[in-house]
Amino acid sequence: MNELIVKNGIVFDPLNGIDGEALDICIKDGKVVESVASSAEVIDASGMIVMPGGVDIHSHIAGSKVNAGRILRPEDHVKDVESHTPITRAGTGHSIPSTFTTGYRYAKLGYTTVFEPATPLLKTRHTHEELDDTPIVDKGCFPLFGNDWHTMEYLKQDRIEECAAYIAWMLRATKGYAVKIVNPGGVEAWRWGRSLIGLEDPVPNFDITPRQILRGLCKANQLLNLPHTIHVHTNDLAQIGNYETTIKTMEAVRDLANDTKPVIHVTHVQFTGRTGSAWHNVGSGAPEIADYVNKHGHVTVDLGQIIFMDTTTMTADGGFQYMLYQLTKNKWMNADVEVETGAGVVPYTYRRSNYVNAIQWGIGLELALLIRDPWRVFMTTDHPNGGDFTKYPKIISWLMSKKARERSMKKINKTAKRKLDLPGLDREYSFSEIAIVTRAGTAKALGLDQKGHLGVGADADLAVYNIDPRKIDSSNDYIKVRRALKKAAFTIKDGKTVVKDGEIVATPLGRTFWVNSTMSDSITHDVESDLRKTFDDYYTVQMDNYAMDDRELARSHRIDIKARV
Amino acid sequence: MTDTIVRNVVCTFCGATCDDLEVTVENGKVRQVRSGCSTSLNKFLNYNRERHLTPLIRKNGEYEEATYEEAVRRSAEILAKARYPILYGWSSTSCEAIRVGVELTEWVGGVMDNTTTVCHGPTMLGVHDIGEVSSSLGEVRQRADLVIYWGSNPVHSHPHHVTRYTAMSKGRFHDGRKGRTLIVVDVRKTDTAKLADHFIQIAPNSDYELLCALRVAARGDELEQEEIAGVSAEKIEELADLMVSCEFGVIFFGVGLTMSLGRHRNIDAALSLVRDLNSRTKFLIMPMRGWYNVDGADQVLAWTTGYPYAVDLSHGYPRYNPGDTTVIDILQRGDCDAALVVASDPISNFPLETAKRLAQIPVITIDPHPSATSIVSEIAFPSTIVGIETGGVIYRMDGVALMLKPVVPPPPGIRSDVEVLSDILAQVKKLKGS
Amino acid sequence: MTEIVLRIKRALQIPVEAGEITPEILCTKRVEEIRRIKIWEGNRQVDLAEVFEVMMENSDRSDKTTIRIIGDASKVRKIGYRMSSGSIIVDGNVGMYLGEEMSGGSIEVTGDAGRWLGMKMKGGSIEIKGNATDYIGAGYRGTTLGMNGGSIHIHGNAGNEVGCFMRNGTIKIEGNAGLFPGIHMSGGIILIQQNCEGRAGAQMKGGKVIIGGNIPSIAPGFVFEEIADKAKFGEEKLLGPFYVFSGDTNEEGKGKLSVSSAMNPELKWYEKYQGA
Repeated sequence: MNELIVKNGIVFDPLNGIDGEALDICIKDGKVVESVASSAEVIDASGMIVMPGGVDIHSHIAGSKVNAGRILRPEDHVKDVESHTPITRAGTGHSIPSTFTTGYRYAKLGYTTVFEPATPLLKTRHTHEELDDTPIVDKGCFPLFGNDWHTMEYLKQDRIEECAAYIAWMLRATKGYAVKIVNPGGVEAWRWGRSLIGLEDPVPNFDITPRQILRGLCKANQLLNLPHTIHVHTNDLAQIGNYETTIKTMEAVRDLANDTKPVIHVTHVQFTGRTGSAWHNVGSGAPEIADYVNKHGHVTVDLGQIIFMDTTTMTADGGFQYMLYQLTKNKWMNADVEVETGAGVVPYTYRRSNYVNAIQWGIGLELALLIRDPWRVFMTTDHPNGGDFTKYPKIISWLMSKKARERSMKKINKTAKRKLDLPGLDREYSFSEIAIVTRAGTAKALGLDQKGHLGVGADADLAVYNIDPRKIDSSNDYIKVRRALKKAAFTIKDGKTVVKDGEIVATPLGRTFWVNSTMSDSITHDVESDLRKTFDDYYTVQMDNYAMDDRELARSHRIDIKARV
Repeated sequence: MTDTIVRNVVCTFCGATCDDLEVTVENGKVRQVRSGCSTSLNKFLNYNRERHLTPLIRKNGEYEEATYEEAVRRSAEILAKARYPILYGWSSTSCEAIRVGVELTEWVGGVMDNTTTVCHGPTMLGVHDIGEVSSSLGEVRQRADLVIYWGSNPVHSHPHHVTRYTAMSKGRFHDGRKGRTLIVVDVRKTDTAKLADHFIQIAPNSDYELLCALRVAARGDELEQEEIAGVSAEKIEELADLMVSCEFGVIFFGVGLTMSLGRHRNIDAALSLVRDLNSRTKFLIMPMRGWYNVDGADQVLAWTTGYPYAVDLSHGYPRYNPGDTTVIDILQRGDCDAALVVASDPISNFPLETAKRLAQIPVITIDPHPSATSIVSEIAFPSTIVGIETGGVIYRMDGVALMLKPVVPPPPGIRSDVEVLSDILAQVKKLKGS
Repeated sequence: MTEIVLRIKRALQIPVEAGEITPEILCTKRVEEIRRIKIWEGNRQVDLAEVFEVMMENSDRSDKTTIRIIGDASKVRKIGYRMSSGSIIVDGNVGMYLGEEMSGGSIEVTGDAGRWLGMKMKGGSIEIKGNATDYIGAGYRGTTLGMNGGSIHIHGNAGNEVGCFMRNGTIKIEGNAGLFPGIHMSGGIILIQQNCEGRAGAQMKGGKVIIGGNIPSIAPGFVFEEIADKAKFGEEKLLGPFYVFSGDTNEEGKGKLSVSSAMNPELKWYEKYQGA
């Protein structure tokens, strides 16, 4: 049975062109349906906003570097605790919440799907263990490519199809969802303690450039027909002025786009959106990047917005993390992964009075306001790098209200404020645009057809927020908006109510989405024999022990795709 | 019945967790093991010796066989009633079991601690202050031209470590022993030291001084003392020079460093030294984790509670402070009033006074074999052997998760740690009125 | 002045946590209310009256509040948590975390104190007639935020890591101390009047450590500066001579370590660096 009707809410469902209409949403057996019986359970959403559940495209919530961060920072957890209740598990929070706390807090915000965006292939079993202990939300992860020896060797020889087959094998083996690329080539250099600058520096011992890696992986991704584009953390994060590298990265694959669909997603663009040659003259490269994104439809981005708070940086970009240690002298974890990638964790506090931090804060918001198409720019903090995800409502209020921005801008470093364009930007996001940049657009970019919308057949994942858009002015009443978005009146997951009035009422376990892209038997077979030859030379784990069986996932949701080859 | 050869079996002895064992099974019993070290051979061939096969409950001072249901009921009663129970062990079982253990600890409002507390706890404390510059083991095999073992004797503690991962392993950039320098720092010339290019004999309990001196020398500053830690300033400078001028160096350290005078500050100094060295060259550091899943126990606790060991859930939320919430300290102070011990034998290996305290409170043991701990327990559950009879996820010493597969069936009627813990948890939930 | 007397009723086995035992919390309550304050005993919350007999005496009209604890309180933790005024007197031993985060007022203990005495203290004073153990004036794991003000005075001996990550304030140990006094400190002064087990001032960035007794050696990151005839501990001037070292150079530290020369003949060889 399991029938539910969410009655009379003000629905924002941008994918289906619904922009603040009073509608009923009917749910049966975990899916949105045309109608339900009169005996269906009723949730009265009158005077409240109804949106699809949030879909977070990029948030570091699970896996070895996240856990390394937890272990590094006992002091992060001591300030923020969650007590055990008969239906919820104990936990700790602040910038690196424990897994149960992560799931509950996302659900309270009205989010129902989250992706861990960077997991080393060799250690993705760990990522899935943590995701299985993350309640409620549906999830997936992006395994890391682009610094792994197999990719670099295939691409050096321009063997794109074999590279694609290798990626397909790896996604199956690691139950991964998409191809994540962090500082292509640069992390292999870092594994020797070195770094690359720009896109043309050859990788030591591999003689391939970041540009070649990007293009090769983009092509392989296309061959595999993967639901998401390559997801790229660009080179030069450690460089002071780095916005040009961001644009060059986007430009590097432009010719590979053959229709209107994007072919590259550049993540946390704020971090690689700086102009300047020294820390004291850093500025915003947002106008240039936004201009490029506006003119070129092959790109999607997410913000990586910073929040002024004490948080923790963690990326696969080990060299960048070392640079941050040198700058701050904070404690520093580094965890390189054989054959494949790296990781680093460094605590960091963003301060309003700090010139660079104020510029960084401005860059993220400028990007959001200057990029015109909300379907191609998504709201993230690169949690926890820019700040923790529970601060999303604050960012939403900055996007929706110039007044909110001005209030926050009062206290930021004055020199930075003078340098930014942000004070002069008047644009304010509508609720519909917010729905796009936090769920409809992200679901679309991820290729998740049943998420991010409330049309018939969609997964019944909904967020109901106790705020009436017809009665408030989101520009002036931004505090009300913030409050309402912080604690969903209802969060519904697969048709089941999991949050009521900001409190957890049920804790089902979500599904783990992963992709199985099948290529022709002959290529698959050839690549597997290649791997058998190199595995023992490269890895300290047997090939047969490397791959995960999908029974290892508590709720595996396999997406079958036929590759183009 | 014919032999079956099970390939790529993961060894469940030390933290090196070699995964290339070949186990020959005949008629449901292990007959032969290839590729493993002698300790793994011993474990696989003798795993079935001395098993207890039924739950035992102490009644009127005597051990009696009991039904599983009664043992579960009694255990749940003891734990649910306790005002400050400790749940200890965990490093020799699967992550699936540990995850149930965390939930059980939450429900009974106790303290969960694992063998890190007697081994690499100091490493955790050092990491909290300094961080850790490290990698997975394969990076060492591929790239390292300088390998240092400090207070660690892998030839005995991790027999295949040197050949599989370090100085004698074959890597992309280094072919075996050639081109690699092996250094051992220890208080006596161990068997590993006999393999080394340089052996530094350090005066006992002076590791902290030597590490500080190396930091000074690595910077290029002069040492004021002529001899530190029983090592001449000249030799210290030579060692620092080797470290600074290598291409890729790594220090592996063991209980010789964690348990000698200074403990976590020794590790603090070592972590700081390695961090300093990264301004000159590529340098890493790695703790030699002893048990095959002690890293897993830390990882599970960290992702479920935020803290890696010694987690106190008595107030309903996770709290952590080694020296307070560590079981050795809790026992020393006589704070706890019940204990659950899983796959561990603390009565045998804890300091005598704390072992005595443990024997004075009601203890529930879950273990495949009888032990000094199970003998003093109120209730002892038999369990299957993880890695041989039961599968599960474990974490190698460098944090790589591996899946164990069962090789032979368990004796009939014996349950896994996961099952026993889950049944006790279900009963505790009933008692607490869930 | 109000004196609130809390007498421990029974031998305690399970740890008790009573952070509500501070002058400012108790002074606003009547005896009956104090008895019903919830404190932790292991994993249960119990009335304070289950552990303590409560009596109150008002001797004059002044606002000063004194809490007197009588009995063996070595299992009672967090007494004086965040207190900012008034005084606490413990007639007996006391448990861990005494005076955690206190910013004013005074605590006096006739017996011994447990670990983490004065953790993250900001002001006020703590005096222990007996011994205290490890981590006096320390911060929480993972932070650099140790004691930031106030004074701690131990008549007996101290354990390891006195003043770990200390930033300001004074700590005086009349007896012996264990290893690593002043480890990672960046400010404040620590005085160990008798012997120290070793590694004083390890990894310090600033502040002062004075050792009046014997110490087996000086950590290698320290550089000999001079022989001084006195050392200052706040207003107190201690008669030397002292060997004075600066360090810890491993942390680019500008701290000062003064060690009694009379009590450390094995350090005499440092004198060759005099005037260097």
